[in-house]
Amino acid sequence: MTAGEKRKQYGFVIRQLTAREMKRKYARSALGIFWSILNPLLSMTVLSLIFSRMFQKSIANFPVYYLTGYLLWQTFTGATSASLTALTDNRLLLLRVKFPMEIFVTARVYTAIVNFFCSLAAYVVMLIVFQIKIRLPALMAPVILLPLFLFSLGLSWILSVGYVFFGDLKHLYTVALTLWMYCSGIFYPAEELGGLIRQVVFHNPMYLYIDGMRQVILYGQIPAAGQFAQMFLWGIGLFAAGWVVFEKNRDRIMVRL
Amino acid sequence: MDIVVRDVTMRFRRAGEEAASLKEAVIRRIRRRDRYETFTALDHVSFTVGEGEVAGIIGANGSGKSTLLKIIAGALRPTQGRVEADRDKIQLLTLGTGFDPELTGKENIYLSGALTGLSKEFLDEKYEAIVQFAGLEGFMEEKVRKYSSGMVSRLGFALATAADAPEILILDEVLSVGDLFFRKKSEKRIREMIHGGSTVLMVSHSMAVIRQNCTKAIWLEKGKLRMAGAPDRVCASYEGMRDGGTG
Repeated sequence: MTAGEKRKQYGFVIRQLTAREMKRKYARSALGIFWSILNPLLSMTVLSLIFSRMFQKSIANFPVYYLTGYLLWQTFTGATSASLTALTDNRLLLLRVKFPMEIFVTARVYTAIVNFFCSLAAYVVMLIVFQIKIRLPALMAPVILLPLFLFSLGLSWILSVGYVFFGDLKHLYTVALTLWMYCSGIFYPAEELGGLIRQVVFHNPMYLYIDGMRQVILYGQIPAAGQFAQMFLWGIGLFAAGWVVFEKNRDRIMVRL
Repeated sequence: MDIVVRDVTMRFRRAGEEAASLKEAVIRRIRRRDRYETFTALDHVSFTVGEGEVAGIIGANGSGKSTLLKIIAGALRPTQGRVEADRDKIQLLTLGTGFDPELTGKENIYLSGALTGLSKEFLDEKYEAIVQFAGLEGFMEEKVRKYSSGMVSRLGFALATAADAPEILILDEVLSVGDLFFRKKSEKRIREMIHGGSTVLMVSHSMAVIRQNCTKAIWLEKGKLRMAGAPDRVCASYEGMRDGGTG
């Protein structure tokens, strides 16, 4: 097979695996794929009931503010949590197939991304309901999503390899995610934080992506060049690190599995 | 296309010896006891399968047959030695690779086909033929969960053998599936593949199958090559030893 044919085949495999994940996820539910739209809306309603009044002064349109953060955060956690077990779940298959095993991890990240685009339907409805004026900077949204996806993919690769060697990673990562979520400014005004935690939040890549997205969509601003630079450094950095981790451990993974 | 196995040795860490959790790893590092026992699955095995030859591997369970196939197929890298064979031309024939019971028969053909390296165009073209060979017309929109085990293996077999025979074919116990009628059909298909000029490597517990189909037999015992040569001779010795009560 030529390199081009191989790439085409990998794309076919990823699409098939993603189709399987989506079908499985909703195999026994009546509403099926609509849950991808319904879930964010329900979560938004709950959080808005609790916090809307509390942050009335500092956050305008709390529900959309929250939804912006929630969608990005959900894509990231959906991708990384599912990827964690991607290699061990497909243990038997890995020994039989001939393509590189990172494809299984990539397919789970791709599933989270497809899910994100489905959920966008809910987001668009909310933007209309809250009469958010979409201005030209909104065109920058893909430039923020790209490094977010790279970041998620890189971390997913690292986690999936880590989990092959350390089963505890699953539990550790769950705890880490909780902490990480509170440091990502999803449902509170991060500008009001002070001291060390402010520094942590403002350099947290997830906050950078979420804040950047709010700026371009909700406020019609373009994030500072420094913020873009950080977003891309994190994205490309993790992507490269993930790739190196995979290359270095390829043989050890097969033996361990 | 021939397969040359040169002095292949494969060692694994003994199960349960490797640190399974972070805590364990840290404790071991502290105690400086990160040593482990090894288990030798293959011990300096060498042999050659020439172009067009049909070689059968025999041996008791745990003798290293599966490990050897995985190494030749390129899924595992040996600890020592090497295998000379063109990986792109090897096809490991297994039934129902990646079948998902929650998906329909049709969805499984595409999923499993993709996983085993078949292209979308190829599957589109052969879809009807696969369904027909499996005798599952009218069942393709049903979930595989609802199939009988015979139906699943028929679908697996039809899909696995849909592609043209590759230059190097590896068979791991797939010679007989389904009911009597389907078995005849499947044996015929396998025979066509085996005798279509490919280099074939197969594992079987049935001496009859080895005698009928192979031009060479390779006997593994506890990871070592015990004997290789004409199927009749090797099978006879193997049976002699097995029936003598030592195996």
